[in-house]
Amino acid sequence: MNNTRPRILGIPNRYLTLAIIVLGIFAARVYAPVLPHIQVAPERLSHQPLFTLPVIGPFYLTNTMTAMVIADIILLLITFAVWKAVKSGSLVPQGFSGAIEAFVEVLYNMTESTAGKWTKKIFPYFGAITLLVLVVNWTELIPGVDTIGILEPVVEHGNPIEQVTSNIYTLIRSEGGTDSDHAAGFTLIGFVRTLSTDLNFTVALALISVFMTQVIGFQALGPGYFSKFINISALWNVFNKPMGIIDFAVGLLEIVSEISKILSFSFRLFGNIFAGTVLLFVIGTLVPVLAPSLFLMLEIFVGLIQAFVFGMLTMVFMSLATKGHGDHEEQHDH
Amino acid sequence: MDAAAAKLIGAGIAMLGTIGAGLGIGILVSGAVQGIARNPDASGDVQTNMILGIAFAEAVAIYCLVVALLILFVG
Repeated sequence: MNNTRPRILGIPNRYLTLAIIVLGIFAARVYAPVLPHIQVAPERLSHQPLFTLPVIGPFYLTNTMTAMVIADIILLLITFAVWKAVKSGSLVPQGFSGAIEAFVEVLYNMTESTAGKWTKKIFPYFGAITLLVLVVNWTELIPGVDTIGILEPVVEHGNPIEQVTSNIYTLIRSEGGTDSDHAAGFTLIGFVRTLSTDLNFTVALALISVFMTQVIGFQALGPGYFSKFINISALWNVFNKPMGIIDFAVGLLEIVSEISKILSFSFRLFGNIFAGTVLLFVIGTLVPVLAPSLFLMLEIFVGLIQAFVFGMLTMVFMSLATKGHGDHEEQHDH
Repeated sequence: MDAAAAKLIGAGIAMLGTIGAGLGIGILVSGAVQGIARNPDASGDVQTNMILGIAFAEAVAIYCLVVALLILFVG
């Protein structure tokens, strides 16, 4: 082993880290972090709507839309990097493309062991949802997300501001402790807010997931797929088997279960990531030095798990939809 | 009692539901760890199913958290 320490620009990493920590301590003393006003709905960046649809209403530019554009750009860059690595012809891609290949291979093997012959139809949804939600969840860790933005005057929940340099202002804590609920002042509207904290995104993704589950079930089993919900054969045989009424009721309960899946998907992702951002805000306000890094590590883990769980539940429900009721015995033959 | 105090108390009571999630996840992981101890070769399968089950159990705790956050931050 060589004895040189890892360096950036000739300075060992450990001294850079120490310098950043000391800088953070001084910055936290001079400009103490302020708890922003948190709301469930994403904040608007533009005062005029971008466009107005006749029935639905006006569409404003919200700060989660910028996060969506950023996530799309990151995903396209990943795609181009992997495409170039694949086109170069070497069988084993190195570096970043190799990591993406390993990730996709893990997901594909999981899909193959669960879905069997429907892997090629199910895997695109699993992979796309997992990668998209992963990139979106991990953008909340980038410094500057939720913290750099526009200061807007408000009449309540406000904080006074102070000028750092020309055109850059910052919120400072109001006098009288943290009782800023009834003070007039300014509030910060970040340019980027994590997309998973927007209920529009999570509900849309859940709707896509559940709807495509029904479509894939229909493709696999034909119109007989809907006999899972409306059990006509149990209804016709009700004179031979009076207990068939219970089967019919169970079928109707399956419809309720599908709707609860939409709610469960969307609120699981929303709750985890929104609670994570609120936690980061509060910990950043209470203990600005060194404690936020622990919670950032937790958020890395939570973001990864939630993305993976969203995709994997989609894949499991899709593969269950292709199986139907008859052949539950041939699921595990290895 | 004014609305702000009622909000805070309500958010606190709403979070009591996470006891169920904690118990559920504990029972789940206990079963998974025993399964891995019996059959270490199946640890990959057992672990995958355990993560899936934990996500379901944790979702219930997240519903409680969402209700608490809605009480605090909306309206």
